[in-house]
Amino acid sequence: MRFWALIKRDVLVSWRKKSNIYQPLVFQLLIVTMFPLGLGAGAQTLAKIAPAVVWILALLSTLITLENIFKDDYEDGSLDLYVLSGMNLYLASLSKAIAHWFTTGIPVILFAPVIGVLMHLPDHSYGILMLSLLLATPIFSLLGTVGSALIMNIKNGGMLLSVLIMPLLAPILIFGAGAVLETSLGNSAYSHLMLLLGCTVLSLTLAPLAAAAAIKINLE
Amino acid sequence: MNRIVKFYHEMGSPPSFYRITKHWLKPMLILAIVMTLYGLIDGLFFAPTDYQQGDSYRIIFVHVPAAWMSMFIYAIVGVTGVITFVWRMKVAEAVMMACVPIGALFTVITLLTGMFWGKPMWGTYWDWDARMTSELILLFLYIGVMGIYTAYDEDPRKAARLAALVAIIGLVNLPIIRYSVVWWTSIHQGSSVSLMGGSNGIKDWDMLRPLLVMALATKFYFIYSIFSRAQTYLLKTESKKQWVNKVIEQEMSGEKS
Amino acid sequence: MISLLLRCQKLKLTLQKHAANKPLISALLQIQDAQCQRAGEVLFAPINLAMDQSELTVIAGPNGSGKTTLLEAMAGLSRFSSGYRRYEQSEELNNWLQHSHYLGHKLGNKGNLSCAENLEFVAHINEISVNQQQTEDVLDKAGLAGYQHQFASDLSAGQKKRLALSRLLLLNKTFWLLDEPFVNLDHAGCDWLYQIIESHISQGGAVILTAHDQKKIHDLANHHITLEAIPEEVFT
Repeated sequence: MRFWALIKRDVLVSWRKKSNIYQPLVFQLLIVTMFPLGLGAGAQTLAKIAPAVVWILALLSTLITLENIFKDDYEDGSLDLYVLSGMNLYLASLSKAIAHWFTTGIPVILFAPVIGVLMHLPDHSYGILMLSLLLATPIFSLLGTVGSALIMNIKNGGMLLSVLIMPLLAPILIFGAGAVLETSLGNSAYSHLMLLLGCTVLSLTLAPLAAAAAIKINLE
Repeated sequence: MNRIVKFYHEMGSPPSFYRITKHWLKPMLILAIVMTLYGLIDGLFFAPTDYQQGDSYRIIFVHVPAAWMSMFIYAIVGVTGVITFVWRMKVAEAVMMACVPIGALFTVITLLTGMFWGKPMWGTYWDWDARMTSELILLFLYIGVMGIYTAYDEDPRKAARLAALVAIIGLVNLPIIRYSVVWWTSIHQGSSVSLMGGSNGIKDWDMLRPLLVMALATKFYFIYSIFSRAQTYLLKTESKKQWVNKVIEQEMSGEKS
Repeated sequence: MISLLLRCQKLKLTLQKHAANKPLISALLQIQDAQCQRAGEVLFAPINLAMDQSELTVIAGPNGSGKTTLLEAMAGLSRFSSGYRRYEQSEELNNWLQHSHYLGHKLGNKGNLSCAENLEFVAHINEISVNQQQTEDVLDKAGLAGYQHQFASDLSAGQKKRLALSRLLLLNKTFWLLDEPFVNLDHAGCDWLYQIIESHISQGGAVILTAHDQKKIHDLANHHITLEAIPEEVFT
């Protein structure tokens, strides 16, 4: 009951403040405009870097929303509420990650084809693009809860969060963007996607542990 | 057996740790300097010229020991991080926070010497091969640990525990990152030479000897460095305790006499 | 061998000392030799408290003396640096959390949710199901009648405090731990708060709170804890 209550509350809070949902998407649009402005509008050049660009933009736009996962709760006292309710912190972090994925991950997945069109992504890659993002965005949310729990108490912790999370996201980027790249070149992306799935399962089990530990340390 | 157990327990207590390691500082530093000089002179002047790479290969006498140390120190950071996190030992915390800047330094040295080796060898300062990329990510991991420790300045012990957690997370992820980077370079036919080299190919004792001497020198420097940093850390965080006052009195009277 | 014997002796002596400090009557809530740290500094001299139902404890002390830290540690949010808290003779946390509710400075209201939704969340997170009628009743009692669909961010400071305090009525846990509950309340609000504390105590509940200058509460209290700063010489 607690698990769903927390998810429901978070989704409701994000939904009521729509800017939480469309800010990452607007960010992606702004940055994707920079590429043709910088490189020239040649379809060939853009198509070549399209897989990486779409993926990196999805990653970066998620990154800017990660700071607030636990920070908001910590600052207005609702973290105390669910910690003191006796709730298992592992489940609490997991539910925060799920709620974050609903409000940030799913819009990013759905919006990615738009960015793909703007970057002249080859037509047959769209399916794999969405599939790889479907596997990877939960990882962003999960690692985001870990980072957010670590920097809960720190002013302007957003930059530090990026520093902490980036090395952990390197494999995800390799597998995910690699999958789309391989597909755009006409090869099979099976191994990339399988490895990505492995990373998803690993984060699903381990990330809430780390986040729970970080919350406990910060509350002491 | 009793004496070893006793020694181990003593090292765990900050005043005893301070007292015991104070005597190690000078010897370690002297050893480190002596061996570095010996290793460098041996490597720079007496090791034979490589028939393939000429004289510019000699940078491996700095590059390879630094690379070994950067990875070894991260393992130490990870282990002491676990001890700090689980058992909250003050000395483990001091050792961990002492190791991190040194490890970061060695990583930077590795990267820089790698770049200087790459330019005369293969014409480029940087190449995204597996080893250099993993070394760069290792640097980010170090920066992350240092960053979270310095960002949280209210309570140093809490900051150290957070840093320990970050170090543990990094340690757990290290195999995944390493494997994924290796896999990534194997599927992209980038450059096929490795800037990191390594000692696997060295069979000549005259070339191997300076390398091992330098490796040993870095170990002594490392021990000197962590002990002196850990001592400072303990003095700072335990500054309100009596034993620190005693140490300060002793030092001041020692200076006067 | 001799060192082993000496260690056994030392252990026996510490156990005896521990037993000697146990209060004769086992109270429901026991706080023994408790101290808190902030940034490595011990804040106050050891605190002892033995509290039962239908009792009120007031914690007093100057600003910065550690009242909030002490209350947070009592509530289970953070740890004591020394000493312990026992509820029903056990140091287990979950049992204590089930029977206590902590209300701190940060009120815990989500601005984007309505008053009713805030209360529903608090109930659900504590695994209590409530229906609409119950939340409306509680809001009525708190003086927020008709505000159930108002966003919490639209409320005034005093109304936010009332919303937070209405949680106590909704959850109805035995122990209430309140940090400066009278702040931001108007005269009527203070009277109302005093009244619900009084009725809670008479119905078998227990309240621990920090307050500065509430004479009526101080008079009502069974236990008074005054935090003293720790003198400089007393360090291990």
